[in-house]
Formats: sequence, structure tokens, C-alpha cells
Amino acid sequence: MEGQRSLELILARNLLSSISTPAFLVDADGVLVFYNEAAGGLLGRRFEEAGKMSAEEWGAAFGPFDNHGQPIPFDRLPLTIALREGRPAHASHCIHSQTGEQHDIEVSALPLVSTDGGFRGALAIFWPMAEAQEYGG
Amino acid sequence: MRIKVWGARGSVPSPGPETTRYGGNTSCVQVTLSDGTIVVMDAGTGIRNLGLTLAGPAPRVNILLTHLHLDHIQGLMFFAPAFRPQTEIVIWGPKSSEASLESRIARYISAPLSPVEVRELPCDVSFREAPATEWEIGPAHLRAASVTHRGPTLGYRLTEGDRSVCYIPDHEPGLGASLHDLTPEWISGYDLAHDASLLIHDCQYSDDEYPDHVGWGHSPLRDALTFAHRVESERVLLFHHDPLHSDDFLDAFAGTATERWCELGGAAERLELAVERREIDLG
Repeated sequence: MEGQRSLELILARNLLSSISTPAFLVDADGVLVFYNEAAGGLLGRRFEEAGKMSAEEWGAAFGPFDNHGQPIPFDRLPLTIALREGRPAHASHCIHSQTGEQHDIEVSALPLVSTDGGFRGALAIFWPMAEAQEYGG
Repeated sequence: MRIKVWGARGSVPSPGPETTRYGGNTSCVQVTLSDGTIVVMDAGTGIRNLGLTLAGPAPRVNILLTHLHLDHIQGLMFFAPAFRPQTEIVIWGPKSSEASLESRIARYISAPLSPVEVRELPCDVSFREAPATEWEIGPAHLRAASVTHRGPTLGYRLTEGDRSVCYIPDHEPGLGASLHDLTPEWISGYDLAHDASLLIHDCQYSDDEYPDHVGWGHSPLRDALTFAHRVESERVLLFHHDPLHSDDFLDAFAGTATERWCELGGAAERLELAVERREIDLG
């Protein structure tokens, strides 16, 4: 069995499982430990099929890419900033789904710090730009 | 290791003719180790009666607080050994980024809620935030872990030799998740409770009551049983009875719980509802 996850990650996962906003959850080492059904719909693969992935693996699988199709350096991704600097970060970029589709998305990443000050990981919610525009975004 | 329940009620004391058999005192469980060391889990109103039994020159008493909701600390001011200068009391509890454990407890043991202040207690009292790693009290090894409830809340596991008791009186592990489907790593409290000789666990609500209390930090019967089944504890004591649950209600509830426990493959004699003054010898 995998080691017990921290309560903060467990609660975050339960929250993400219950919402229809696409979202990722990574642990303190940057390993993608969960993404929800809505994210799976956007990425073209359910988490249960993909399983947990290292930062390099999820970067290679889904991007993201800039407006010119170039991969965005790992240390400039909102999740990386949230993980490494322990602060929220936001960006707009493009991801490729496993079915070959391209999505322009907005991403906001938040660090997860426990009540005793321990750093537990980060979560990122993302929103397709097309849908954001529908809502006046 | 001997266990004695001094209070099994949740939320608020509920004395009265309707609760005489299961008891109306709030959370407090005494663990007596093989060398006589006393560890008290939570200081609800049940601790008052426990204190009355510690009449002589009391040894050092360790009190493990799961969290600081009133039903888990309300008895502290009425714990007789705290008023004896020869007693040493060590109070363990959850860490918080907001203030020290002592400061947070002092909000209750201070004016206008209390006629005495923490600093006025005659005993030798100290406050320690439960460490993230295992520690020892007497011959026992202790572990604490954060669990799903409202606010910083711990569960404890106390192990002596090959016997262990896991105490998670306030716990809602099924909040936003199906305990049947989750892998163990994603179940709040799993590691702490796995394979325990005795699991003392929250079961405040019936399944019918739960929809009106989702997110309040407590388990309905189905989640308490599923959790106990998943963690494969040897024995289970369902705890933190709702103050509205009368003895008659709890008798019927116990019947339902046993039936459902057996459907999950558990043995009927391994499951019971906590009753005040109940003693269990874990060997």
C-alpha cells in the first residue's frame, strides 16, 4: 500500500472529486496524485487510466504550450511556482489532450500548507477559455 | 492494557432519565498501561468522575486531547488531580499556526468562562503539541495523526506490546468520498487505525440523520462501520453518541449496527456501542 496521504491532500481530493471545475492535485514532491473527472474530460484520459505521474511525465503528456506551440518551461508553470515558492500563481496557456485536441486554458494554482505550517502540495484549477468567454470571462 | 469509558456522549452533556444507561458525560477514555501509567484520552465531562477515583497521591497523568471543542475539554476544570500540587499533568493536543496549545486552552480556563486561570492550577501542568513522529509514554508508543473533522483534530494510537487502541472520536472520513471505493492511502485515519486491537470511533448519526449534518465532522453508522471494516480492527467501540439519542434509541441502534456489521463480515461480539463505565481488558 502507498503511504498514508496527508489530511490536507485527502480533503483536497475529496473537494476536487465533488466539483465540476477541472482540477489537478500534486503532492509536496510535485507528483500528480489526482485529477478529477472534469479534468479527465479535458485531457482525454481519466485519472484511473492515467495513474499518478511525476512532474516530467504529466508535463510531457499534457503540455502546456505557449501560443507558438513551444513547451512552457517547467519552472514557469503555476503549479511549479505554487510548489517551489509556496504562493498562488496564475497563467493562461494551451494544453493538448490525449485525443489530439488543443485547449486554451486559464490556470490558477494554490499551495496547500497545513495548520502546523507543513507544506503538503498544491492544487491547480483550470478553465477552458472558450467557456470563460461564455460566462463573460 | 485496560480501557475504561468515562464519557461517550458527543457535543454536549446530556444527563437525564433518558440517558442513564449509556451515560450523558462527554468524551473521556482512560487507558491504564501495564506499569500503572494512566493516559486519558480527551477531557470531556467524563474526566470529572475519573478524577474522583484518583484520590491518592496521583502519579503523572497524561491527557491526550484530540481537539479543543468544548465537549472534549469541558471537564478539565473539574479534574480533581489538577488541584493537587503533587500531581504532574501533561496535556497533549493538536498544533495550530494560530496560537500555542496552552493559549488556546487558556481561552476556556480563564475569565469569564472559568473562575480559575491555567496559571493558578496548583498542579504541575505542562502543554505539549503532539509530535508528527511516534513518542513514548511509559511502556506505550504513541502516534497522532490529523483526521477529518472541523478544525485541527487528531486521532491517537497507543500501542503497548502487541496490543493497541486507536481513538478517533470525532471523524467524518466519508465527507465527499465513498469509503468503499477509496484506496487506503486516501482514507483519513487509515494508517492510524489499521489492525488496531480496539478502535474507538465516532458514530454520532444514524444514516437517516446524516443528510442534515453533512460536513459537521461526524460519521453516520454506515461510514463508521465501513471505516472499521476497511481498517480491519479487531474490536470496535462506536462512540460520541448524539445527545438526542436516548438509551432506547441507542439499544435499537446497537441492533442495527450489529446486523450491518455482520453483513460486512464482522463478528457480532466484536462490535459494541460505548457505554459509560464500560471496561475492556485488551490483555
